[in-house]
Amino acid sequence: MISLQHVSKTYRNGTVALEDVSVEVEKGEFVFIVGQSGSGKSTFIRLLLKEEDASKGDIYVAGKNLARLTTWKIPHLRRNIGTVFQDFKLLAVKTVFENVAFALEVIGKPKHVIDQRVPEILDLVGLGDKLNNYPDELSGGEQQRVSIARACVNRPLVLLADEPTGNLDPSTSVEIMRLLDKVNRIGTTVVMATHDQAIVDAMRRRVIELERGQVVRDQARGVYS
Amino acid sequence: MAATSFLFRETTSGLRRNGLVAFAAISTTFIALLLFGLSLLISRQVDLMIQQTTGDIEVVVYLTDPINMDNVHSLTQKLTDLPVVPSDGVTFESKNDACVRFKELFQDQQALVNTVDCNALPASLRVNLDDPEQFQQVSAVLQGQPGIDRIVDQRDFLTRLFAVVRAFRLGVLIMSVVMLVSAAFLIANTVRMGLFARRKEIGIMKLVGATNWRIRTPFLVEGIFESLIGAGIAILFLFALKVAFIDPLYTQIKFIPWVHNGDVIAVIPWLIVAGIVVAVLAALAGMRRFLDV
Repeated sequence: MISLQHVSKTYRNGTVALEDVSVEVEKGEFVFIVGQSGSGKSTFIRLLLKEEDASKGDIYVAGKNLARLTTWKIPHLRRNIGTVFQDFKLLAVKTVFENVAFALEVIGKPKHVIDQRVPEILDLVGLGDKLNNYPDELSGGEQQRVSIARACVNRPLVLLADEPTGNLDPSTSVEIMRLLDKVNRIGTTVVMATHDQAIVDAMRRRVIELERGQVVRDQARGVYS
Repeated sequence: MAATSFLFRETTSGLRRNGLVAFAAISTTFIALLLFGLSLLISRQVDLMIQQTTGDIEVVVYLTDPINMDNVHSLTQKLTDLPVVPSDGVTFESKNDACVRFKELFQDQQALVNTVDCNALPASLRVNLDDPEQFQQVSAVLQGQPGIDRIVDQRDFLTRLFAVVRAFRLGVLIMSVVMLVSAAFLIANTVRMGLFARRKEIGIMKLVGATNWRIRTPFLVEGIFESLIGAGIAILFLFALKVAFIDPLYTQIKFIPWVHNGDVIAVIPWLIVAGIVVAVLAALAGMRRFLDV
C-alpha cells in the first residue's frame, strides 16, 4: 500500500528531514511513526500526501509512483488518503454534518450520496446525535471524531494521522485510538505519527522509530522505546 | 445541481466578505469600460462621418462674379481632360443651386437662412476625383486661369477634423486601458483577499482531494461577476450619455450622421468581452502562488 525506497528529503534551507528511509506498509496495517520533534515524522506524512517531493528515492502510495504523478493528478491521490491532524482543522461556521459533507461536496459527489454517507459515518464515530452542532459546541475528543469522520467519509485506502491525540487528555485519547482501531479493522491502512508513549505501548502495533531523519527501529507489535 | 448551488454560495459569500474592495473593483471596472465604450463609439462616429463624406468628397473651385458660361465650359473641359477626373466628374453649381443647397442644409435654423443673402453665395465647379490624393493636379491645371476665386480641397478640412477626433479617441482609449489595468489590479486584490480569508477552507479542500479548478472556480466567478456588474453599469451610462448628448443633435445638426442606439448596442458585446478577459486574467494572476498544490 505504501512503499518508501531509499527516500531522502532535504529542504531548500538545507535542513535534512529524512535520510535514506526505506519502509514498506502492507494493506490493512496499523503503523506508528514515533520519534522526537524534528525527527522527520511530519515530513514523512507530507511526502505521502505529495505536499512535498522527495529529494531522492521513490515513494509509492496505492500503486502510484508519487514522483511521476502530475500536479493535476494529486487531488486523485488525496481522495485515496484520509488525513487527521492534531488541530482537527474543522470549519467553525459549518455544522458537524456540513463539515463532513464539505469533503464530499468539493470532490463533486452528488447530494444523494452525501445525504446517505455523512450520517452513516457520523454514526460510526459515535456522533449520530450531533449532526447539527457547531464545532465549538463539542469537546476536543468529539471534534477529533468529526475530523476522523471527514477523513473516512470518502472511504480512503489509507488514513494518515499526524499527532491525532496531541491536544487531548489521556482518557479521550484512548477513545480516539479505539476509533482509529475500528477504522483499521474495516480495512483501512492507518499510519499514525505520534509521541504519545502510553498509547503506543497500549496498542501493541508496528512501530517505526525515526531519529534525525533515519529509521532506527522497525518493530512489529512494538512499544514506544 | 448540488455543484451549482455550492458554487453560488461560495461566490456570493466571497462578495459579501470583502464588500469594500469588491466595490472598488466594480467601480474601477465601470469607469474603465465606460471609457472603452466611449472610445468605440467615437470611432463609430468617425466611421459614419467618413462613410458619408468620402462618397462625395470634392475639390471645390469657387468662381468669381459675374459668371461667364464660356469660361465655365473651358474650365470644365480642362478638368475632364485630366486622367484623374472622370468624364462626368465636374458639375457646375450656380448661385441659385448653392442657395437651394444652403437652405436645405440649414432648414432647421431659419434665422440663419433668413440673414444670409443668396447673392453672397458663390457659384462653383465641383470636381470629383478618382483618387482624392491627386488634388495637386487640379490646382496645377487651373493655375492662372481667369474667373477663379479660390480652390478648396474639402478633404483637407476633413482630414484635419478627423485627426482631431482621432486624437481625442486615442486619448480616451489610453485612459480606458489605464483604468482597465487598475481594475485588473483591484480584482486581483479582491481575489487574493478572498483566498486569504478562506485559506483554512482551501487547505481542507486540498487535503480531501478537491481539484485545483474546483478550488479556483468560485474565485474566478467572483472576479468575473464583479467585472460584469461594472460592465452593466457602464452600458447603462453609455445609453444615458447618448440620450443626453447625442439625441438633441439629431434635430440640431442634421447634416452629420450621428450614432444611434444600434451603435451603442453593437458596443455591448465588446465591453462584456473586455470585462471578462480582464477579470479572468486578473483573477488568475491573483490566484498564482497561492493555490499551487
